[in-house]
Amino acid sequence: MELLNDIKFALLPESVMVIFILLTAVLSFLPGKTRQGTIFYVSFIGIVLALLSTLVMDFSGEKEVFYGTFVSNYFTLVFRTIILAGTAFTLFLARDYVEGFGKNTGEFYFLLLTASLGAMLLTGANDLIMVFVALETLSISSFALCGYTKSDRLSNEASLKYLVFGAAASAVMLYGFSFIYGITAATNLPEISGFLSEYELNSILVIAFLFVLAGFGFKISAVPFQAWAPDVYEGSPIPVAAYLSVVSKTAGFAVLIRFITELFPETALFSIILAVVAVITMTAGNLMALGQQNIRRLMAYSSIAHAGYILLGLAVMTVDGITAMIFYLITYLFMNFGVWAAIELFALATGKDNIDDFAGLAVKHRYFALGMVLCLLSLAGIPITAGFFSKFYLFKAVAVAGYEYMVLLVIALINTAIALFYYMRVIKAIYLRPEPEIRHDHVFKIAFPVKMVMAISVTGVLLLGVFATPVIEKSKVLNSPTQEVAVNYSLVRE
Amino acid sequence: MQYLSLSLLIFLPLIGALIIWGPWFPQNEVKIRRFAKGYAGLIFIYSLFFLAFFNPLIEGFQFTETLTLPGGQAWLEPLGANFSVGADGISLLLIVLTTFLVLLALIASKYSITKRHKFYYSMIFVLQTAILGVFAAKDLFLFIIFWEIELIPMYFLISVWGTGRKEYSAMKFILYTFAGSIFMLASILALVFYHYQQLGILTFDLTTFTYMKAYTYPMMFGILTFLGFFIAFAVKLPIVPLHTWLPDAHVDAPTPVSMLLAGILLKMGGYGLIRMNLQILPEIMEVLAPLVIILGVINIIYAAIVAIAQKDLKKLVAYSSVSHMGIVLLGIGAMNVAGISGAIFQMAAHGVISAGLFMIVGVIYLRTHTREIADLGGLGQNSPKIMYFAMIIALGSLGLPLLIGFAAETLAFYGTFTSDVFRGFVLFGDYLPISVQALTAIAIVGVIFTAIYILWMFQRVFWGNMMDKWQKFHDASPHEMVVLISLIFVIVVFGVNPSGMTDIFVPTVDTLVKLMI
Repeated sequence: MELLNDIKFALLPESVMVIFILLTAVLSFLPGKTRQGTIFYVSFIGIVLALLSTLVMDFSGEKEVFYGTFVSNYFTLVFRTIILAGTAFTLFLARDYVEGFGKNTGEFYFLLLTASLGAMLLTGANDLIMVFVALETLSISSFALCGYTKSDRLSNEASLKYLVFGAAASAVMLYGFSFIYGITAATNLPEISGFLSEYELNSILVIAFLFVLAGFGFKISAVPFQAWAPDVYEGSPIPVAAYLSVVSKTAGFAVLIRFITELFPETALFSIILAVVAVITMTAGNLMALGQQNIRRLMAYSSIAHAGYILLGLAVMTVDGITAMIFYLITYLFMNFGVWAAIELFALATGKDNIDDFAGLAVKHRYFALGMVLCLLSLAGIPITAGFFSKFYLFKAVAVAGYEYMVLLVIALINTAIALFYYMRVIKAIYLRPEPEIRHDHVFKIAFPVKMVMAISVTGVLLLGVFATPVIEKSKVLNSPTQEVAVNYSLVRE
Repeated sequence: MQYLSLSLLIFLPLIGALIIWGPWFPQNEVKIRRFAKGYAGLIFIYSLFFLAFFNPLIEGFQFTETLTLPGGQAWLEPLGANFSVGADGISLLLIVLTTFLVLLALIASKYSITKRHKFYYSMIFVLQTAILGVFAAKDLFLFIIFWEIELIPMYFLISVWGTGRKEYSAMKFILYTFAGSIFMLASILALVFYHYQQLGILTFDLTTFTYMKAYTYPMMFGILTFLGFFIAFAVKLPIVPLHTWLPDAHVDAPTPVSMLLAGILLKMGGYGLIRMNLQILPEIMEVLAPLVIILGVINIIYAAIVAIAQKDLKKLVAYSSVSHMGIVLLGIGAMNVAGISGAIFQMAAHGVISAGLFMIVGVIYLRTHTREIADLGGLGQNSPKIMYFAMIIALGSLGLPLLIGFAAETLAFYGTFTSDVFRGFVLFGDYLPISVQALTAIAIVGVIFTAIYILWMFQRVFWGNMMDKWQKFHDASPHEMVVLISLIFVIVVFGVNPSGMTDIFVPTVDTLVKLMI
């Protein structure tokens, strides 16, 4: 009975996902051509049902289940919604892309849903063991997804690289967990938190923190754990790259926020460490993006830079900062998927992914080009797009946090100026370069699912750009990872 | 009265852009152009109504509008920002200047724009929305939004329809302006944060920062904030070390875009200096005013000397813009009614004159496909109309009495001469007699330089023996006549009767100065 209660109150979306994961696994034995379509629809229904199931749950309080290893509250609801929406986007992107893979298309959806299940569990993981298991569920499925195009050399390289980096990062993180366990003799986060609140900061704790940060930093591709990102984004199938750059990253941020706010609220040293990581991440990401020729590599570096911006919200350690992070992640979902959808469309039609290949796109497909440009401008932070608001809100949170963070603010602002340059390069190619003669006959048909992702993304980018208030309010009410911490934070800051 | 809505005025051009860009509008070049011109004319007439119903004697903003969403919420409640617009004498003058020049630029587009018409006219309208928004914004957040939106259409306008190294210039323009605006963003956030810390209210409303405050900024904080604003506006105005984007952008932009760039976009810098630096941080301005005046003098002299050496006609006009913007800076630095009024007057005057000069350059380029002054000569023989129009505009540029430039420059120089901002300024003690009078005298020398390069240019282009290859140089077409005559009309009317223009904004400046002291 207790299990059923747990499921009913906390794990309903996850349970729905498990059922549909099993269903896709079984369905992949279906014969013939109908298989791909069937599995796609089944997966999509699964995601929709998982989303709908959150409606019947009660999120007003906090629910600890499975002996305190998983916690379900508003915070996890927001993140689970982002993850499910991102997975739905990925599904649509995959619909036409996967068809080219030949026979084994069923497992793709299976792996995708499993990865999302891991990501959802990660947002609410309340125990070191649970954190690790959820993270590995996400990671291992992602490794397989990266290498899904078996015959492609780049895809294999991406998969192997991701696997090696991921394994190393997990190992380091686990080592950090062992330190924490050694200090506190507990694996449950609230218990650890209770112990640490009376514990003097010492070098072992700092080392443990750094090691754990390595594990999460790998997921969110923060420098210096970012080296895998460009190769993986370039080599893996495009839906997977989009998935990694949004969903996987969102899950990483969720667990990072929970971890930091629960275990180390108001630890000045860790705030400084996070600030330094954030600054290095955004600067390195932006500088390295400047010289890229391949749009997928460019997007990889851009996603690294964005991870840096988002980390700022955590570094200032205020409730406002975390609100800004969540709002940023929501907008990031739309703008990033918009660009990836455009990249996929283009790759499906022409098989090319260099920036110069986008030349003359505006003439052939003006709505498609306009949508892509809007998403790029949003990434660059130009008004009236969602990206501008999320950046502005984040920077406001940093400015309001105190004078000591003004330096961070200035560096972040300079970074946005650098970033504009490489986004403009893509826009320049789309709108200004004359169309090469040879590709004139390549007026391609835009696949419907991808078109839909594009349309939803652009709508989201524009709507959030103009009417941001309700969404900010949503991310504000729901942002307290645990009730206590929120109180803690507000007491200190106001 | 209730039909006059500033926000409608701001968004009318955007609606026009959507109408033109959409698939429902015919692809026909002539239809697009006619519609665009008619629409811009409508907007211009609509903006004139604001002028008619404007009461200069009321202090503060008029025609104010604040958006309230259903439920009584502000537009961006969590940020403390809202959509609120309003106009005082300064902004209204620039709003009308904007609608006027956009109309003329659209008329001038007939010959210089030969491709992608839909895209072009919709971009011009988007640009107009952004500029009107900057001038009408009564909220700092809204100000930044419109300030940055303006970059995108301008980038396309230069890089698609330009000539020469257009992409390089467009990129340089956008990066310079964006980098500058980032400092402004930091300053605004700092101000908002300071206000929040002092009073616990998160707001971006301009009036809370411009009027009497319950606190004073610490000196260091104030200076940093001031510099943040100043860098952003120095790029836009431009002020000398940060001006290098301007000659590139001007030279490579097509004629109508150059007209808008020099006519309105540079004014955004001057407007920002008055609105932000002068109104929000007057106590810091008082400390740094000598620096501003010195920078203004450098601007005037340096750009004038560089302009003399130019071989390219358009570059010469571009540098003359930089030089004239120095006068704006000088007037703002003076911090008295005459000086600030002179600066605003100069902005309006230069808006009209530089648009005229760029139009003349465009007219010549269209016929000769060269801008090298050495290649031209004797053009006046075939085209007396163009020559006489050019002469009036050129004389206006060098400040001939009874033309608009004279009134503006005189006012600004008078203000600077009688300014007392150097009161406590003892940089070199008694050894170097650096005073505001001496600096004004140096700046006035710049006007002589202006006369030199303008008249010399005019002589080399229009007088002398005609080269054989320009035998077919034909006189102004009706479109060009309309543009040039409209500009000259403004130049002469407000040159003869300057108070027609000063009446609009001098009361605003009066209250502004009263609040400063």
